[in-house]
Amino acid sequence: MDSEQIDYQSLNYLSTVDHNLCCPICRSPLVDPVYTTCLHTFCSTCINKALERSQTCPVDRTPLQAEDVSPAPIMIANLVNELAVLCPNSELGCTFTCARYLVEAHLSHDCEFVYMKCRECGDKVLRRDAGRECLHQLEECTHCFQHIKKIDMEAHEKECPGLLGECMHCRLEIERSELKEHEFTCEEATISCSSSSLGCPWSGQRKELSHHQAACPFTFLRPVLQAHAERLTKLELENRTLRKRIEQLTPRINQSNTTEPLSFDEQAYQFLTEQEHMRQDMERLSATLGELEIKQGMLLMNESLRTKEELAGIRAAINGIRMQIHWLLTVRVHGTEHRHVVGGGAGTPSNSAGPSHPAEHSASRRLSDNFGQGVKL
Amino acid sequence: MAALPKRIIKETERLVADPVPGINATPHEDNLRYFDVTIHGPASSPYEEGIFRLELFLPEDYPMSPPKIRFLTKIYHPNIDKLGRICLDVLKTNWSPALQIRTILLSIQALLGAPNPEDPLANDVAQRWKEDEKAAIETAREWTRTHATV
Repeated sequence: MDSEQIDYQSLNYLSTVDHNLCCPICRSPLVDPVYTTCLHTFCSTCINKALERSQTCPVDRTPLQAEDVSPAPIMIANLVNELAVLCPNSELGCTFTCARYLVEAHLSHDCEFVYMKCRECGDKVLRRDAGRECLHQLEECTHCFQHIKKIDMEAHEKECPGLLGECMHCRLEIERSELKEHEFTCEEATISCSSSSLGCPWSGQRKELSHHQAACPFTFLRPVLQAHAERLTKLELENRTLRKRIEQLTPRINQSNTTEPLSFDEQAYQFLTEQEHMRQDMERLSATLGELEIKQGMLLMNESLRTKEELAGIRAAINGIRMQIHWLLTVRVHGTEHRHVVGGGAGTPSNSAGPSHPAEHSASRRLSDNFGQGVKL
Repeated sequence: MAALPKRIIKETERLVADPVPGINATPHEDNLRYFDVTIHGPASSPYEEGIFRLELFLPEDYPMSPPKIRFLTKIYHPNIDKLGRICLDVLKTNWSPALQIRTILLSIQALLGAPNPEDPLANDVAQRWKEDEKAAIETAREWTRTHATV
Protein backbone atom coordinates (compact mmCIF):
# COMPACT_ATOMS: atom_id res chain seq x y z
CA MET A 1 0.00 0.00 0.00
CA ASP A 2 1.28 3.44 -0.90
CA SER A 3 1.89 5.42 2.25
CA GLU A 4 2.63 8.71 0.47
CA GLN A 5 0.28 11.62 1.11
CA ILE A 6 -1.75 12.73 -1.88
CA ASP A 7 -0.68 16.14 -3.21
CA TYR A 8 -4.17 17.57 -3.67
CA GLN A 9 -2.83 20.83 -5.10
CA SER A 10 -1.36 19.09 -8.11
CA LEU A 11 -4.49 17.14 -9.00
CA ASN A 12 -5.92 17.59 -12.46
CA TYR A 13 -9.60 18.55 -12.58
CA LEU A 14 -11.98 17.36 -15.26
CA SER A 15 -13.34 20.83 -15.98
CA THR A 16 -12.15 24.35 -15.26
CA VAL A 17 -13.03 25.36 -11.73
CA ASP A 18 -14.74 28.62 -10.80
CA HIS A 19 -11.98 30.96 -9.62
CA ASN A 20 -14.01 31.79 -6.51
CA LEU A 21 -13.33 28.26 -5.33
CA CYS A 22 -9.57 28.68 -5.80
CA CYS A 23 -7.08 29.67 -3.15
CA PRO A 24 -5.58 33.14 -3.79
CA ILE A 25 -2.16 31.74 -2.88
CA CYS A 26 -1.81 28.46 -4.76
CA ARG A 27 -4.51 29.32 -7.34
CA SER A 28 -5.80 25.72 -7.22
CA PRO A 29 -9.21 24.67 -5.92
CA LEU A 30 -9.21 25.02 -2.13
CA VAL A 31 -7.86 22.10 -0.14
CA ASP A 32 -9.00 21.92 3.47
CA PRO A 33 -10.45 25.45 3.21
CA VAL A 34 -10.19 27.93 6.08
CA TYR A 35 -11.33 31.50 6.38
CA THR A 36 -9.97 34.53 8.21
CA THR A 37 -11.49 37.21 10.42
CA CYS A 38 -11.31 39.50 7.36
CA LEU A 39 -13.45 36.88 5.55
CA HIS A 40 -10.92 35.63 2.99
CA THR A 41 -10.71 31.92 2.22
CA PHE A 42 -7.45 29.97 1.74
CA CYS A 43 -6.15 26.42 1.82
CA SER A 44 -5.10 25.75 5.40
CA THR A 45 -1.50 24.85 4.43
CA CYS A 46 -1.17 27.93 2.20
CA ILE A 47 -2.30 30.45 4.84
CA ASN A 48 -0.16 28.80 7.51
CA LYS A 49 2.92 29.09 5.34
CA ALA A 50 2.08 32.71 4.53
CA LEU A 51 1.60 33.61 8.19
CA GLU A 52 5.07 32.23 8.97
CA ARG A 53 6.44 35.02 6.78
CA SER A 54 4.10 37.91 7.44
CA GLN A 55 1.36 38.36 10.00
CA THR A 56 -1.02 39.98 7.54
CA CYS A 57 -3.78 38.78 5.28
CA PRO A 58 -2.27 38.12 1.82
CA VAL A 59 -5.31 39.66 0.14
CA ASP A 60 -6.03 42.88 2.05
CA ARG A 61 -2.97 43.16 4.39
CA THR A 62 -5.02 43.44 7.60
CA PRO A 63 -3.04 42.16 10.61
CA LEU A 64 -3.69 38.47 11.06
CA GLN A 65 -2.67 35.79 13.61
CA ALA A 66 -2.87 32.03 13.35
CA GLU A 67 -5.82 32.06 15.79
CA ASP A 68 -7.77 34.40 13.46
CA VAL A 69 -8.07 31.51 11.02
CA SER A 70 -10.86 28.94 11.33
CA PRO A 71 -12.29 26.15 9.13
CA ALA A 72 -14.47 27.45 6.32
CA PRO A 73 -18.21 26.71 6.26
CA ILE A 74 -18.92 23.11 5.41
CA MET A 75 -20.71 24.14 2.23
CA ILE A 76 -17.46 25.51 0.75
CA ALA A 77 -15.60 22.37 1.77
CA ASN A 78 -18.27 20.25 0.10
CA LEU A 79 -18.19 22.29 -3.08
CA VAL A 80 -14.48 21.73 -3.55
CA ASN A 81 -14.45 18.16 -2.30
CA GLU A 82 -17.04 17.11 -4.84
CA LEU A 83 -15.15 18.47 -7.84
CA ALA A 84 -14.36 15.69 -10.32
CA VAL A 85 -10.66 14.88 -10.69
CA LEU A 86 -8.47 12.54 -12.69
CA CYS A 87 -6.61 9.80 -10.86
CA PRO A 88 -3.08 11.07 -9.92
CA ASN A 89 -1.70 8.04 -11.80
CA SER A 90 -3.35 9.06 -15.07
CA GLU A 91 0.09 9.50 -16.59
CA LEU A 92 0.91 5.85 -15.83
CA GLY A 93 -2.29 4.78 -17.55
CA CYS A 94 -5.13 4.94 -15.01
CA THR A 95 -8.25 6.40 -16.58
CA PHE A 96 -10.29 6.55 -13.39
CA THR A 97 -12.11 9.78 -12.52
CA CYS A 98 -14.07 10.52 -9.34
CA ALA A 99 -15.05 13.21 -6.88
CA ARG A 100 -11.99 14.60 -5.16
CA TYR A 101 -12.82 13.22 -1.73
CA LEU A 102 -12.90 9.71 -3.20
CA VAL A 103 -9.38 9.84 -4.63
CA GLU A 104 -7.77 8.61 -1.47
CA ALA A 105 -10.01 5.54 -1.34
CA HIS A 106 -9.37 4.86 -5.03
CA LEU A 107 -5.65 4.95 -4.53
CA SER A 108 -5.61 2.81 -1.45
CA HIS A 109 -8.00 0.11 -2.76
CA ASP A 110 -8.62 0.13 -6.51
CA CYS A 111 -6.03 1.97 -8.57
CA GLU A 112 -4.14 -0.55 -10.69
CA PHE A 113 -1.20 1.81 -11.05
CA VAL A 114 -0.20 2.11 -7.41
CA TYR A 115 3.08 0.47 -6.43
CA MET A 116 2.73 -2.25 -3.77
CA LYS A 117 5.00 -4.74 -2.11
CA CYS A 118 5.35 -8.05 -3.94
CA ARG A 119 3.81 -10.84 -1.86
CA GLU A 120 6.72 -13.13 -2.47
CA CYS A 121 9.89 -11.06 -2.48
CA GLY A 122 8.79 -7.68 -1.05
CA ASP A 123 10.03 -5.70 -4.04
CA LYS A 124 7.96 -2.92 -5.70
CA VAL A 125 5.24 -3.97 -8.11
CA LEU A 126 2.17 -2.32 -9.64
CA ARG A 127 -1.11 -3.44 -8.09
CA ARG A 128 -2.34 -4.87 -11.40
CA ASP A 129 0.60 -7.31 -11.38
CA ALA A 130 0.55 -8.05 -7.66
CA GLY A 131 -1.99 -10.89 -7.92
CA ARG A 132 0.08 -12.93 -10.39
CA GLU A 133 3.25 -14.85 -9.70
CA CYS A 134 6.30 -12.90 -8.56
CA LEU A 135 7.63 -10.77 -11.38
CA HIS A 136 11.03 -10.33 -9.80
CA GLN A 137 12.25 -13.80 -10.67
CA LEU A 138 14.91 -13.98 -13.32
CA GLU A 139 13.97 -15.34 -16.69
CA GLU A 140 16.10 -16.08 -19.69
CA CYS A 141 15.60 -13.92 -22.73
CA THR A 142 14.85 -16.14 -25.70
CA HIS A 143 16.96 -14.01 -28.02
CA CYS A 144 20.07 -12.98 -26.15
CA PHE A 145 19.96 -15.58 -23.36
CA GLN A 146 20.53 -12.94 -20.69
CA HIS A 147 18.77 -13.34 -17.36
CA ILE A 148 16.29 -10.59 -16.81
CA LYS A 149 13.57 -9.94 -14.24
CA LYS A 150 10.13 -10.65 -15.65
CA ILE A 151 8.99 -7.19 -14.69
CA ASP A 152 11.69 -5.60 -16.84
CA MET A 153 11.21 -7.94 -19.79
CA GLU A 154 8.93 -5.57 -21.68
CA ALA A 155 11.52 -2.80 -21.55
CA HIS A 156 14.29 -5.26 -22.39
CA GLU A 157 12.61 -6.44 -25.56
CA LYS A 158 12.81 -2.96 -26.99
CA GLU A 159 16.60 -3.05 -26.80
CA CYS A 160 17.46 -6.76 -26.69
CA PRO A 161 20.76 -7.18 -28.56
CA GLY A 162 19.75 -10.71 -29.62
CA LEU A 163 16.77 -9.59 -31.67
CA LEU A 164 17.21 -8.96 -35.35
CA GLY A 165 17.29 -5.42 -36.51
CA GLU A 166 17.24 -3.96 -39.96
CA CYS A 167 20.18 -1.87 -41.13
CA MET A 168 18.70 1.46 -42.11
CA HIS A 169 21.04 1.74 -45.09
CA CYS A 170 21.27 -1.62 -46.78
CA ARG A 171 18.08 -3.16 -45.29
CA LEU A 172 20.09 -6.18 -44.18
CA GLU A 173 18.73 -8.00 -41.12
CA ILE A 174 21.40 -8.37 -38.47
CA GLU A 175 21.40 -9.01 -34.75
CA ARG A 176 21.03 -5.77 -32.83
CA SER A 177 24.29 -6.25 -30.98
CA GLU A 178 26.11 -6.27 -34.31
CA LEU A 179 24.12 -3.50 -35.87
CA LYS A 180 26.42 -0.81 -34.56
CA GLU A 181 29.48 -2.57 -35.81
CA HIS A 182 27.83 -3.16 -39.17
CA GLU A 183 27.21 0.55 -39.46
CA PHE A 184 30.97 1.12 -39.65
CA THR A 185 31.36 -1.22 -42.59
CA CYS A 186 27.98 -1.00 -44.37
CA GLU A 187 28.68 -0.24 -48.01
CA GLU A 188 25.53 1.80 -48.35
CA ALA A 189 25.89 3.89 -45.24
CA THR A 190 26.20 7.59 -45.90
CA ILE A 191 29.58 8.87 -44.81
CA SER A 192 31.56 12.01 -45.41
CA CYS A 193 34.97 12.20 -47.04
CA SER A 194 37.93 11.35 -44.81
CA SER A 195 39.19 14.86 -45.54
CA SER A 196 35.98 16.45 -44.28
CA SER A 197 37.93 17.87 -41.35
CA LEU A 198 39.95 19.81 -43.92
CA GLY A 199 36.81 21.18 -45.50
CA CYS A 200 35.76 18.61 -48.14
CA PRO A 201 31.99 18.92 -48.49
CA TRP A 202 31.48 15.50 -50.12
CA SER A 203 29.21 12.94 -48.52
CA GLY A 204 27.88 9.77 -50.06
CA GLN A 205 27.71 5.99 -49.78
CA ARG A 206 30.76 4.20 -48.50
CA LYS A 207 31.19 2.21 -51.69
CA GLU A 208 31.66 5.45 -53.63
CA LEU A 209 34.29 6.81 -51.31
CA SER A 210 37.32 5.38 -53.10
CA HIS A 211 36.05 6.76 -56.37
CA HIS A 212 35.63 10.19 -54.82
CA GLN A 213 38.99 10.14 -53.12
CA ALA A 214 40.76 9.51 -56.40
CA ALA A 215 39.63 12.97 -57.47
CA CYS A 216 39.28 14.74 -54.13
CA PRO A 217 41.50 17.86 -54.10
CA PHE A 218 41.41 17.89 -50.32
CA THR A 219 42.94 14.42 -50.18
CA PHE A 220 45.71 15.55 -52.52
CA LEU A 221 46.44 18.58 -50.43
CA ARG A 222 46.06 16.69 -47.19
CA PRO A 223 49.76 16.67 -46.18
CA VAL A 224 50.13 20.39 -46.83
CA LEU A 225 46.87 21.31 -45.13
CA GLN A 226 47.67 19.09 -42.21
CA ALA A 227 51.07 20.70 -41.76
CA HIS A 228 49.38 24.08 -41.83
CA ALA A 229 46.80 22.99 -39.30
CA GLU A 230 49.53 21.69 -37.02
CA ARG A 231 51.41 24.92 -37.33
CA LEU A 232 48.25 26.86 -36.60
CA THR A 233 47.54 24.92 -33.43
CA LYS A 234 51.14 25.39 -32.35
CA LEU A 235 50.91 29.12 -32.94
CA GLU A 236 47.59 29.29 -31.17
CA LEU A 237 49.08 27.56 -28.17
CA GLU A 238 51.99 29.95 -28.18
CA ASN A 239 49.63 32.86 -28.54
CA ARG A 240 47.60 31.65 -25.58
CA THR A 241 50.64 31.31 -23.35
CA LEU A 242 51.85 34.74 -24.42
CA ARG A 243 48.46 36.24 -23.71
CA LYS A 244 48.53 34.65 -20.29
CA ARG A 245 51.94 36.15 -19.69
CA ILE A 246 50.63 39.57 -20.70
CA GLU A 247 47.68 39.17 -18.40
CA GLN A 248 50.05 38.32 -15.57
CA LEU A 249 52.38 41.20 -16.29
CA THR A 250 49.86 43.94 -16.97
CA PRO A 251 48.64 44.25 -13.38
CA ARG A 252 52.25 44.39 -12.21
CA ILE A 253 53.01 47.24 -14.60
CA ASN A 254 49.87 49.00 -13.57
CA GLN A 255 50.78 48.53 -9.93
CA SER A 256 54.19 50.05 -10.35
CA ASN A 257 52.58 52.97 -12.11
CA THR A 258 49.71 53.50 -9.74
CA THR A 259 51.68 55.69 -7.32
CA GLU A 260 51.08 58.87 -9.28
CA PRO A 261 50.55 58.07 -12.89
CA LEU A 262 47.12 59.52 -13.18
CA SER A 263 47.92 62.94 -11.77
CA PHE A 264 51.13 63.06 -13.76
CA ASP A 265 49.36 62.18 -16.95
CA GLU A 266 46.72 64.77 -16.27
CA GLN A 267 49.29 67.45 -15.57
CA ALA A 268 51.26 66.62 -18.64
CA TYR A 269 48.10 66.72 -20.65
CA GLN A 270 47.19 70.10 -19.22
CA PHE A 271 50.61 71.47 -19.96
CA LEU A 272 50.52 70.15 -23.46
CA THR A 273 47.16 71.70 -24.19
CA GLU A 274 48.26 75.00 -22.69
CA GLN A 275 51.40 74.95 -24.79
CA GLU A 276 49.35 74.22 -27.85
CA HIS A 277 47.07 77.18 -27.08
CA MET A 278 50.06 79.46 -26.60
CA ARG A 279 51.62 78.34 -29.84
CA GLN A 280 48.45 79.12 -31.68
CA ASP A 281 48.29 82.56 -30.05
CA MET A 282 51.90 83.20 -31.04
CA GLU A 283 51.26 82.28 -34.63
CA ARG A 284 48.27 84.56 -34.79
CA LEU A 285 50.19 87.44 -33.24
CA SER A 286 53.21 87.11 -35.51
CA ALA A 287 50.95 87.08 -38.54
CA THR A 288 49.27 90.29 -37.38
CA LEU A 289 52.65 91.81 -36.69
CA GLY A 290 53.92 91.06 -40.19
CA GLU A 291 50.81 92.62 -41.68
CA LEU A 292 51.24 95.72 -39.60
CA GLU A 293 54.89 96.02 -40.61
CA ILE A 294 54.04 95.87 -44.27
CA LYS A 295 51.28 98.41 -43.86
CA GLN A 296 53.58 100.73 -41.92
CA GLY A 297 56.31 100.39 -44.54
CA MET A 298 53.87 101.35 -47.25
CA LEU A 299 52.64 104.35 -45.32
CA LEU A 300 56.19 105.47 -44.60
CA MET A 301 57.19 105.14 -48.20
CA ASN A 302 54.18 107.08 -49.43
CA GLU A 303 54.80 109.80 -46.91
CA SER A 304 58.55 110.09 -47.49
CA LEU A 305 58.12 110.07 -51.26
CA ARG A 306 55.80 113.02 -51.08
CA THR A 307 58.11 114.88 -48.68
CA LYS A 308 61.09 114.18 -50.91
CA GLU A 309 59.20 115.51 -53.90
CA GLU A 310 58.26 118.63 -52.02
CA LEU A 311 61.78 118.99 -50.80
CA ALA A 312 63.12 118.74 -54.30
CA GLY A 313 60.59 121.31 -55.50
CA ILE A 314 61.55 123.67 -52.74
CA ARG A 315 65.23 123.14 -53.45
CA ALA A 316 64.66 123.91 -57.10
CA ALA A 317 62.68 127.02 -56.24
CA ILE A 318 65.42 128.16 -53.88
CA ASN A 319 68.02 127.57 -56.59
CA GLY A 320 65.97 129.61 -59.05
CA ILE A 321 65.64 132.40 -56.54
CA ARG A 322 69.36 132.23 -55.83
CA MET A 323 70.19 132.51 -59.52
CA GLN A 324 67.85 135.37 -59.88
CA ILE A 325 69.42 137.15 -56.92
CA HIS A 326 72.83 136.36 -58.32
CA TRP A 327 71.90 137.75 -61.68
CA LEU A 328 70.34 140.79 -60.14
CA LEU A 329 73.43 141.32 -58.06
CA THR A 330 75.77 140.94 -61.05
CA VAL A 331 73.55 143.23 -63.13
CA ARG A 332 73.62 145.78 -60.40
CA VAL A 333 77.44 145.53 -59.98
CA HIS A 334 77.98 145.72 -63.75
CA GLY A 335 75.52 148.54 -64.03
CA THR A 336 77.31 150.69 -61.54
CA GLU A 337 80.60 149.84 -63.20
CA HIS A 338 79.23 150.87 -66.64
CA ARG A 339 77.74 153.98 -65.29
CA HIS A 340 80.96 154.55 -63.60
CA VAL A 341 83.17 153.86 -66.65
CA VAL A 342 80.98 155.03 -69.58
CA GLY A 343 79.34 157.81 -67.77
CA GLY A 344 75.93 156.26 -68.37
CA GLY A 345 73.83 156.36 -71.63
CA ALA A 346 70.17 155.48 -71.48
CA GLY A 347 70.52 153.25 -74.64
CA THR A 348 73.51 151.32 -73.41
CA PRO A 349 71.74 149.04 -70.95
CA SER A 350 70.08 147.32 -73.91
CA ASN A 351 73.46 146.83 -75.49
CA SER A 352 75.14 145.71 -72.33
CA ALA A 353 72.16 143.51 -71.68
CA GLY A 354 72.76 141.94 -75.08
CA PRO A 355 76.00 140.16 -74.29
CA SER A 356 74.76 139.26 -70.78
CA HIS A 357 71.73 137.53 -72.25
CA PRO A 358 73.43 134.32 -73.32
CA ALA A 359 74.90 133.98 -69.84
CA GLU A 360 71.47 134.38 -68.29
CA HIS A 361 70.03 131.98 -70.77
CA SER A 362 72.58 129.30 -70.06
CA ALA A 363 72.11 129.86 -66.36
CA SER A 364 68.38 129.48 -66.68
CA ARG A 365 68.84 126.41 -68.80
CA ARG A 366 71.22 124.99 -66.29
CA LEU A 367 68.68 125.83 -63.67
CA SER A 368 65.96 124.06 -65.54
CA ASP A 369 68.33 121.11 -65.92
CA ASN A 370 68.96 121.23 -62.23
CA PHE A 371 65.28 121.41 -61.57
CA GLY A 372 64.70 118.46 -63.81
CA GLN A 373 67.34 116.51 -61.96
CA GLY A 374 65.75 117.46 -58.68
CA VAL A 375 62.38 116.27 -59.83
CA LYS A 376 63.88 113.08 -61.02
CA LEU A 377 65.29 112.53 -57.61
CA MET B 1 15.21 20.91 -8.83
CA ALA B 2 11.82 19.99 -7.52
CA ALA B 3 8.88 19.77 -9.89
CA LEU B 4 7.38 23.06 -10.94
CA PRO B 5 4.46 23.99 -8.65
CA LYS B 6 1.08 24.04 -10.29
CA ARG B 7 0.71 27.73 -9.56
CA ILE B 8 3.76 28.65 -11.66
CA ILE B 9 2.52 26.51 -14.54
CA LYS B 10 -0.89 28.18 -14.36
CA GLU B 11 0.58 31.68 -14.20
CA THR B 12 2.87 30.99 -17.16
CA GLU B 13 0.02 29.58 -19.22
CA ARG B 14 -2.10 32.64 -18.53
CA LEU B 15 0.78 35.07 -19.22
CA VAL B 16 1.27 33.50 -22.63
CA ALA B 17 -2.40 32.98 -23.52
CA ASP B 18 -3.74 36.26 -22.17
CA PRO B 19 -0.86 38.74 -21.97
CA VAL B 20 -1.14 42.13 -20.30
CA PRO B 21 -1.06 44.94 -22.90
CA GLY B 22 2.43 46.43 -23.11
CA ILE B 23 3.98 43.61 -21.07
CA ASN B 24 5.50 40.39 -22.35
CA ALA B 25 6.95 37.60 -20.21
CA THR B 26 8.38 34.41 -21.68
CA PRO B 27 9.94 31.64 -19.61
CA HIS B 28 13.30 30.13 -20.58
CA GLU B 29 12.99 26.67 -22.06
CA ASP B 30 15.70 25.20 -19.85
CA ASN B 31 14.59 26.96 -16.66
CA LEU B 32 10.89 27.61 -16.33
CA ARG B 33 11.45 29.81 -13.27
CA TYR B 34 13.45 32.31 -15.30
CA PHE B 35 11.53 34.78 -17.48
CA ASP B 36 12.56 37.25 -20.15
CA VAL B 37 10.34 40.29 -19.71
CA THR B 38 9.73 43.35 -21.83
CA ILE B 39 7.73 46.34 -20.63
CA HIS B 40 6.62 49.19 -22.89
CA GLY B 41 7.12 52.63 -21.34
CA PRO B 42 3.72 54.08 -20.38
CA ALA B 43 2.23 56.78 -22.62
CA SER B 44 2.84 60.44 -21.70
CA SER B 45 5.81 59.51 -19.53
CA PRO B 46 9.48 60.15 -20.37
CA TYR B 47 9.74 56.42 -21.08
CA GLU B 48 7.08 56.49 -23.78
CA GLU B 49 7.99 54.50 -26.88
CA GLY B 50 10.79 52.76 -25.00
CA ILE B 51 10.86 48.98 -24.73
CA PHE B 52 12.60 47.92 -21.53
CA ARG B 53 14.03 44.46 -21.02
CA LEU B 54 13.93 42.87 -17.57
CA GLU B 55 14.81 39.52 -16.07
CA LEU B 56 12.50 37.82 -13.60
CA PHE B 57 13.33 34.83 -11.44
CA LEU B 58 10.92 32.89 -9.24
CA PRO B 59 12.82 31.65 -6.16
CA GLU B 60 12.34 28.18 -4.73
CA ASP B 61 9.75 29.30 -2.19
CA TYR B 62 7.71 31.46 -4.55
CA PRO B 63 4.93 32.53 -3.97
CA MET B 64 5.85 32.76 -0.29
CA SER B 65 8.77 35.03 -1.22
CA PRO B 66 8.64 37.62 -4.00
CA PRO B 67 10.06 37.14 -7.49
CA LYS B 68 13.46 38.70 -8.14
CA ILE B 69 13.26 41.31 -10.88
CA ARG B 70 15.93 43.49 -12.45
CA PHE B 71 16.01 45.92 -15.37
CA LEU B 72 18.46 44.85 -18.07
CA THR B 73 17.93 47.99 -20.17
CA LYS B 74 19.60 51.14 -18.86
CA ILE B 75 16.99 53.52 -17.48
CA TYR B 76 17.13 56.97 -15.86
CA HIS B 77 14.68 56.67 -12.99
CA PRO B 78 14.95 57.72 -9.31
CA ASN B 79 13.73 54.33 -8.07
CA ILE B 80 15.91 52.16 -10.33
CA ASP B 81 19.66 52.04 -9.84
CA LYS B 82 22.59 51.54 -12.19
CA LEU B 83 22.41 47.77 -11.80
CA GLY B 84 18.72 47.76 -12.73
CA ARG B 85 17.52 46.97 -9.20
CA ILE B 86 14.07 48.28 -8.46
CA CYS B 87 12.89 50.01 -5.29
CA LEU B 88 9.28 48.92 -5.03
CA ASP B 89 7.56 48.03 -1.74
CA VAL B 90 5.61 45.08 -3.16
CA LEU B 91 8.87 43.47 -4.23
CA LYS B 92 10.18 43.59 -0.68
CA THR B 93 8.33 44.16 2.59
CA ASN B 94 4.88 44.50 1.10
CA TRP B 95 5.02 41.29 -0.91
CA SER B 96 1.97 39.08 -0.52
CA PRO B 97 1.61 35.52 -1.83
CA ALA B 98 -1.70 36.58 -3.36
CA LEU B 99 0.24 38.80 -5.81
CA GLN B 100 1.32 37.35 -9.14
CA ILE B 101 3.86 37.92 -11.88
CA ARG B 102 1.36 39.93 -13.90
CA THR B 103 0.36 42.20 -11.01
CA ILE B 104 4.00 42.84 -10.13
CA LEU B 105 4.89 43.70 -13.73
CA LEU B 106 1.90 46.05 -13.84
CA SER B 107 3.21 47.74 -10.67
CA ILE B 108 6.59 48.22 -12.34
CA GLN B 109 4.94 49.72 -15.41
CA ALA B 110 3.03 52.06 -13.10
CA LEU B 111 6.29 53.01 -11.37
CA LEU B 112 7.66 54.15 -14.74
CA GLY B 113 4.62 56.43 -15.09
CA ALA B 114 4.97 57.81 -11.56
CA PRO B 115 8.59 58.13 -10.37
CA ASN B 116 8.91 58.73 -6.65
CA PRO B 117 12.08 60.71 -5.84
CA GLU B 118 11.10 60.81 -2.14
CA ASP B 119 11.96 57.10 -1.83
CA PRO B 120 15.05 56.93 -4.00
CA LEU B 121 17.34 54.08 -4.94
CA ALA B 122 19.52 56.06 -7.34
CA ASN B 123 20.36 59.04 -5.13
CA ASP B 124 21.96 61.21 -7.81
CA VAL B 125 18.96 60.76 -10.10
CA ALA B 126 16.48 61.49 -7.29
CA GLN B 127 18.44 64.62 -6.30
CA ARG B 128 18.35 65.91 -9.86
CA TRP B 129 14.67 64.99 -10.11
CA LYS B 130 13.94 67.15 -7.07
CA GLU B 131 16.15 70.07 -8.06
CA ASP B 132 15.38 70.33 -11.76
CA GLU B 133 12.54 68.02 -12.74
CA LYS B 134 12.37 69.33 -16.30
CA ALA B 135 16.00 68.56 -17.01
CA ALA B 136 15.75 65.16 -15.30
CA ILE B 137 12.75 64.23 -17.43
CA GLU B 138 14.63 65.34 -20.53
CA THR B 139 17.56 63.09 -19.55
CA ALA B 140 15.16 60.20 -18.96
CA ARG B 141 13.70 60.80 -22.41
CA GLU B 142 17.17 60.88 -23.94
CA TRP B 143 18.20 57.64 -22.21
CA THR B 144 15.00 56.04 -23.45
CA ARG B 145 15.86 57.09 -27.00
CA THR B 146 19.44 55.83 -26.79
CA HIS B 147 18.99 52.63 -24.79
CA ALA B 148 15.36 51.49 -25.02
CA THR B 149 14.49 51.85 -28.69
CA VAL B 150 15.39 49.36 -31.36
